[in-house]
Amino acid sequence: MSSRSGLGPLADPQHPEAAAGAPRPTGRGFGRVLVTVYGIFALAATARSVVQIATKFDEAPIAYLLSALAAVIYIVATVALARGDRTSRRVATVAITIELVGVLGVGLLSLVIPHDFPSASVWSGFGSGYGFIPLVLPFVGLWWLRRTR
Amino acid sequence: MTGPFATAIIVVSLLLCCWAVVLVIANRAPGRALLSASAVLELLLVVFLVGGIVQMAGSDRDFARAEFVGYLLACAAVIPVAAWWVRDEKSRAAAGVLAVVFLVLPVLVIRVQQVWAGSVG
Repeated sequence: MSSRSGLGPLADPQHPEAAAGAPRPTGRGFGRVLVTVYGIFALAATARSVVQIATKFDEAPIAYLLSALAAVIYIVATVALARGDRTSRRVATVAITIELVGVLGVGLLSLVIPHDFPSASVWSGFGSGYGFIPLVLPFVGLWWLRRTR
Repeated sequence: MTGPFATAIIVVSLLLCCWAVVLVIANRAPGRALLSASAVLELLLVVFLVGGIVQMAGSDRDFARAEFVGYLLACAAVIPVAAWWVRDEKSRAAAGVLAVVFLVLPVLVIRVQQVWAGSVG
């Protein structure tokens, strides 16, 4: 990956760890934008999930629990990507992998049994209610973790 | 609620979004001018928040009041949080973050209006 150190403006010359072979922080450069998008989804998913569980949990408990899981995953991914040390990098990889499985799984379930998923979470319909960004985001997240390794 | 004012916020936000995108393309960090414009937009959003709560207090209609205030608070919070997050980012990534925020703000404002109208619960 050292051959990619010429990332130009998106690379971070102020961080000598990169040159020393240690992973570059995931929260700098393009990572700033990525963490911002993750943060927005953390906020959106958390707020939505709190409202669902507080006001109508009995209508579709499993869907709403998945909704809450999505919220937790986004929060963990946001914080881990923002911190960007070695442990955080591992945590982020796990969280984003779960996110990928979640958006694909819930997306599929919401198509197969739509009555149990009344647009219940950010992952329903592969994130169609959010411009399909939830579907793209885990791929970008995993790519960025590889790229900064 | 407050139609023209909300529309003005949306227009200003989208203009600032274009500005930030131009900076990303030009490979430049946001300068004093964009930050000042962001502060003006933030001022509008604080007025939006206060005005929204005043309007809500003066209304006896049935709508999702907690969500309404939640969206108003989110509107007022995103610019300060984003500014804090890019405080020591000197690259165009700071402009990228602002572009994302200025794109999300109109969505939040539209949600405020939808909740006010009672079309979503």
